[in-house]
Amino acid sequence: MRVLPAYLFLLVLISLSSFAAIKQADKASEIELQTVQTEFIAGHKITLRFSNSEGVEPLLYCTNSYGSTLIRPYIEGGILNYSIPKHITQKKGIVSWKLIHGNISLSGQFTIKAKPEVASMETYIGPPSIQAGGTDYTMMVVIPTDALDNPLPEDTTVKTKHQFLSTEISDTIKTKHLVAYKNIYSKKESGRMLVSSECLNINSKEFTINVMPAIPVGFSISAKRPHGYADGNQITTFETSILKDKDNNIVSDGTFVTFSISNEKNNILKTYGSTINGIATAKMIHPDYGSHWQIQAYVIGMAQSNILSLNYKQAISDFEVQFSENNRVITIGPLKSFMDQMIPDGLSVKLQIYKNNTTIESIKTTSANGYAQFKLKPDLVKNDDYTIVIQTAGLEKTFKNTTLW
Amino acid sequence: MKETTNKYLIVALLLGLAFHGSSIFFTLETTYDALIHLFFADHYANSWFEPWNYKWYTGFTVMSYPPLVHQSIALLSMIGGLKFGLFTVAIISILLFITGVYRFSLLITGNRTTAGYAALLAVFSSSFVETLHLFGQLPSIVGISVLMHALPEIYLWLKTGKYWYLATSLSLIAVTVTSHHVTPIFGMIFFIFPLIGMVIMDVSRESVDTIKAVTIRVFIQSFLKLLKRIISFGLLSLIIIIGCILPYWINSKNNPITQVPIPHGSRDNFLEITSSGLVFFIIPWGILLILLPYLFYRYYSKRYLFFGLSFTLLTILGTGGTTAIPKTILGETAFNILTLDRFTLWASIMALPIMGEFAYRFVQGDLKTLIQSKFGAVYHRIIGGILAGLFIFMTIFTMSLSYFRPSQPDTIKMLPIVNFLNQDNHDQWRFLTLGFGDQMAWLSAQTNAMTVDGNYHSARRLPELTTRPIERLENSKFKGVAGIGSLQQFLTRPEKYNLKYIFSNDKFYDPILYFCGWQRLRQLENGIMVWERLNIPPVSSILPKDDVAKWQKILWGTIPLLTVLLAFLLNIHMLWINALKTKFKASPAFLNFKHDYSKFSPTVLKVTHIWSLVLALLVCLAMYQFYIKNDSQHNPENAIIAYYDALDFKEFETAFNLINPNSNMTISQYMLEVSVTDGLLSSYAKLDAIETMVTTQTNNMATVKVITKWITPLEKINKVDYKILSKLNGKWYLEPDQLNTDLPPDQLYSANSTSYHNQGRRRITTEQTHHEDVLKQPVLEVLSAKLVKYENHYAIVGEIQNIDNVPADVVLKGTLYNDVNKELASYNAKYHMKHKLMPKETTAFKINFEGIAWSRTKDSIPDTFNPDEFTPVEFEEQPTKFNLQAAGNVSGSDLFKNLTLSNIEISEKEINGQLFNSGLQEITIPQLLITYYDEHKTILWVDHLFVKEGIRQQRKQDFEYAILNESKVNVINDIMDNIYVNGLPNDQISRKIISKRIDNHANSELQPVSHPNYSFIKIETNSYIGNPN
Repeated sequence: MRVLPAYLFLLVLISLSSFAAIKQADKASEIELQTVQTEFIAGHKITLRFSNSEGVEPLLYCTNSYGSTLIRPYIEGGILNYSIPKHITQKKGIVSWKLIHGNISLSGQFTIKAKPEVASMETYIGPPSIQAGGTDYTMMVVIPTDALDNPLPEDTTVKTKHQFLSTEISDTIKTKHLVAYKNIYSKKESGRMLVSSECLNINSKEFTINVMPAIPVGFSISAKRPHGYADGNQITTFETSILKDKDNNIVSDGTFVTFSISNEKNNILKTYGSTINGIATAKMIHPDYGSHWQIQAYVIGMAQSNILSLNYKQAISDFEVQFSENNRVITIGPLKSFMDQMIPDGLSVKLQIYKNNTTIESIKTTSANGYAQFKLKPDLVKNDDYTIVIQTAGLEKTFKNTTLW
Repeated sequence: MKETTNKYLIVALLLGLAFHGSSIFFTLETTYDALIHLFFADHYANSWFEPWNYKWYTGFTVMSYPPLVHQSIALLSMIGGLKFGLFTVAIISILLFITGVYRFSLLITGNRTTAGYAALLAVFSSSFVETLHLFGQLPSIVGISVLMHALPEIYLWLKTGKYWYLATSLSLIAVTVTSHHVTPIFGMIFFIFPLIGMVIMDVSRESVDTIKAVTIRVFIQSFLKLLKRIISFGLLSLIIIIGCILPYWINSKNNPITQVPIPHGSRDNFLEITSSGLVFFIIPWGILLILLPYLFYRYYSKRYLFFGLSFTLLTILGTGGTTAIPKTILGETAFNILTLDRFTLWASIMALPIMGEFAYRFVQGDLKTLIQSKFGAVYHRIIGGILAGLFIFMTIFTMSLSYFRPSQPDTIKMLPIVNFLNQDNHDQWRFLTLGFGDQMAWLSAQTNAMTVDGNYHSARRLPELTTRPIERLENSKFKGVAGIGSLQQFLTRPEKYNLKYIFSNDKFYDPILYFCGWQRLRQLENGIMVWERLNIPPVSSILPKDDVAKWQKILWGTIPLLTVLLAFLLNIHMLWINALKTKFKASPAFLNFKHDYSKFSPTVLKVTHIWSLVLALLVCLAMYQFYIKNDSQHNPENAIIAYYDALDFKEFETAFNLINPNSNMTISQYMLEVSVTDGLLSSYAKLDAIETMVTTQTNNMATVKVITKWITPLEKINKVDYKILSKLNGKWYLEPDQLNTDLPPDQLYSANSTSYHNQGRRRITTEQTHHEDVLKQPVLEVLSAKLVKYENHYAIVGEIQNIDNVPADVVLKGTLYNDVNKELASYNAKYHMKHKLMPKETTAFKINFEGIAWSRTKDSIPDTFNPDEFTPVEFEEQPTKFNLQAAGNVSGSDLFKNLTLSNIEISEKEINGQLFNSGLQEITIPQLLITYYDEHKTILWVDHLFVKEGIRQQRKQDFEYAILNESKVNVINDIMDNIYVNGLPNDQISRKIISKRIDNHANSELQPVSHPNYSFIKIETNSYIGNPN
């Protein structure tokens, strides 16, 4: 039976509290918004005023797209004043608020607009280099913003200006979804384009776009050489005509040109050049035996040249071979060039030693003062009979049954 | 009795401080370990309680090494910087060692004078000098020193049973374990167990009349009597060993060392590898070798019997791989993890008391009397002079070893590198050092930037490192195939590790850096070359770590210094009394067991004499052998080996002196010829092995077949030469080789070329690069690509072109998938491509899929070195699809393209050709890329050839290339759908620039070959310029 007083006490407590709640709700219903302005300029002070007769101080819940906060009021002459903090008033957009007190709530929203002036022009341009010819383009994106970094309202007019060669073009675009953009197409010519923009008398800085030449088209090649002999010691220089794209722009410096040389044995030799002012030069050492070269140059996948034919006359007509010191020292020479002068040092001479048609040894050397010499070490080539073949300058001499001892 | 200060100890301390204290400033920083400890100390100085360190190995925990020494340095660094801390701790360790030896010797001999002698000898003992000045093992020294301090306390606890001694001994054990983990564990076995035996022996001795009366029964009785104390000490010290560095044990359990063992000289066969024998046997033993008979004689006397056994064991274990015994005793695993030199160190330290005793007896005791009576006073003085001379010689020799055979590269000024890393956010990427030696630790301590490498191999985590027997990437050239192989994986896929910068102090690595796609940035003012790789993302701001519980961090951060504090408080009392003699103190119990120094055994003297004679003979023999081996002109083989050695070390004058003086070759001509040869073989090769075979030899002539194996950063080169030697005046000389006489056509010539410069940031600002300063990535086009299988490995081959107007650095990454689109492997193109392309240039490429080489078992590591060799990744499933990502970045470097193919001859198995350098730069390493095509002229395979010799300007160079064998290339997939350039689909991006490509444009220029599987080939050239001008 001792439980009963406790129950009674509880009952009284509940009824009392519900009474209090109802009383408060009555008071909240009397709170009303007094501020009528619903549009503000970013950065201005914003205070929401509510009437309040009973002196309660509910918190104001306030939210924009950056986040939410609760604001405590201050009372001035029985009026609730809610001062919206700076981090909300400085950002453009819609701010929603809600005042909850008891079971009755008030809510509403107001709009903050950007300042009607431009402080900076956030500009992006990309890609910074495009190809000439009129199909490639770069995109300029301008975001005019006020001093508080708020983008200006929709349909703000932005003037874009660009200079290319002798033309200067200006154009107007309007911001949409906070940004204004424009595609700038290349012209037929290559060159440098300067771009800027303007909004409400504020100008952006200068931006640069490189309009690069397009891919090259067909070209021709020529060759220069000191003489037409295959002495293996002079350099033939190949040169292209000026490489241009279809709109007559000289291709960019450094364009790689492959010179492919096909000789009479159908073997492919290669030399390379890269262009300066459209002209690529490549060098090649003369062959050391009489040859016929067919040269064609390529910018692979894009352009090619005519086929150039070059003949190299045999410079060395014949040579002598002397065996000495048990046939182990083989001297080749004199090796004479086209005017019977001694061939310049470095002509390659190859010696091959066969035994029963299998190669025993293959040795290379280079000529010095018109002669080349091989010394056959007994460890390398045992005492025996061999067939010895000597090749140089495309000539070949065979000595059968040479005995080494 | 009033105690007097021990003069010998005072002298030892003063000498020790003066000698070591001044010389550490010249030696410590060039030791192997000191800078590593400095790096750890830097870690504690910056984050005392956080054990995770991001700077090495993409992160590791410092809980892998006991922290006391590092934390002490860190604490002292707050006063005067890291190096101040290092040297202070080093000086403290010297003091601890000398006093430790004194106390240990006093315990063993029970005689203050002999202990004083021992302390004096310890100052100059070659093993201590080596450990401190050559190895820089500070924790090890502190550990063993404190252990020696603990030994008398342990003795007194066991003997007297006073709890005070238990406390002091345990406090010292705690300090030992927090400074070095291995020391107390093995110290238990090798020092404390014999000590326990000695205590029991002493107790037994007290219960009977003479030492002879101590029988096994008496011994066991005494043992049982002391059992309680022994067990209590054993258990408590075990708890301390585990408890004080509990996080260390937890870490070792969680991250067991599962790495391939790293070879260590102390495990070598000392007779075969004499340099290891010198460093790990002769030096630490030093003069003790002469005293061995006396040492054994004394340690095998009844009282020291257990020390004798321990000493014997230590001696044997210290011999490393010379005999099989250490391996059998320790077992395979322990043998491969432990460095066995520590056993020799401990043996030599254990020998010190007896050595002190010998010195005492020799200088002023019974041995002096015996020798003087037997051989006369003069003999005694001579012997004394010889012994002292040898002793000091060993000390000087050890101290100066690093002067004559530097173990480290010259000191590198770190400031320019530190500045470089601090500039321009360079520390946002990881870096790697090459050829820095242990100085890399010092660099790491000074910068916030992280490296993929590290210098504490037990903490390595990346499988690329743990599966190789290499300590560091940094010195990988000394580790043969495994080293370079490991390095190549890091160089080929640097984006995996955010590795952007390489600081190279060794030009050996330059070719591999170039051919892996790296470019030289600039040379810093300290001569270090900075290499850079483009297209590497910066390290993310949040990095993973293995976190540990907070209690572990607190324990790790507090316990070590607390143990020192505790030990200090417990022992200060004793120290105070001992040092200042403030009050009379009963002499400790071990002083009651004095040895009688009145009658030196003549037999021991005789044995020592005979032993010394044997040693002297051995030394003479060794010296003779050394002379014969090193007399370069004694026989043809020596001459050849000396000649190649001289060439290998670029000692050209030495090499020239081995050339036949009658050959009319002058040194200037020889030097000229040497100086004009450049290339992979002459500039970047390290002689790995040389084998000589004398094929014919007469009295005055010999021909030798020389088979040489060279390690280069790119591949292994085997060479066979035949050399003729002749004998003049009893000396063998080599005949000079023939010279290439090629004469260039022009004396002076000119060429124009386009060069580029990328400004980077145009504004000097620390902000992010301005939007408009970011260059557009050059557009590339993949012309063809297919997944192929050749023999047992997969590869993506194809061709790529730079279709933009600016030169591009090209990075190619391929990924393989199976039928259900599961990713199987991913790798980058290594050197089967030209990484730098001019506008419109094409290159063939091949991406090999390398596994983490030899990751399966350590047994499969090939003995022979071949950096070129790679392990194909092992696929669990069949790759059927591939994805190729090409990234271009504007680069203006390494654009030399003037290597031309000037002649070619094709036979069935071989291509012989000639290259010609038509440019203005000397080509150091020419590379050929050989692309194979089928009969329809579609690509099948890409191969490469590094030409061994360089090509000077306007010179020709022959090459030989063996055409691939008949194995067939299977094309698995040639659908080019998943190919992306700079993140955009290949097709779309290329069509924008080239709307109408001429397909198969240069197909008519392919070289026909007669081969069953391939119909055409194409040869492209690439060249590495070692010294651009």
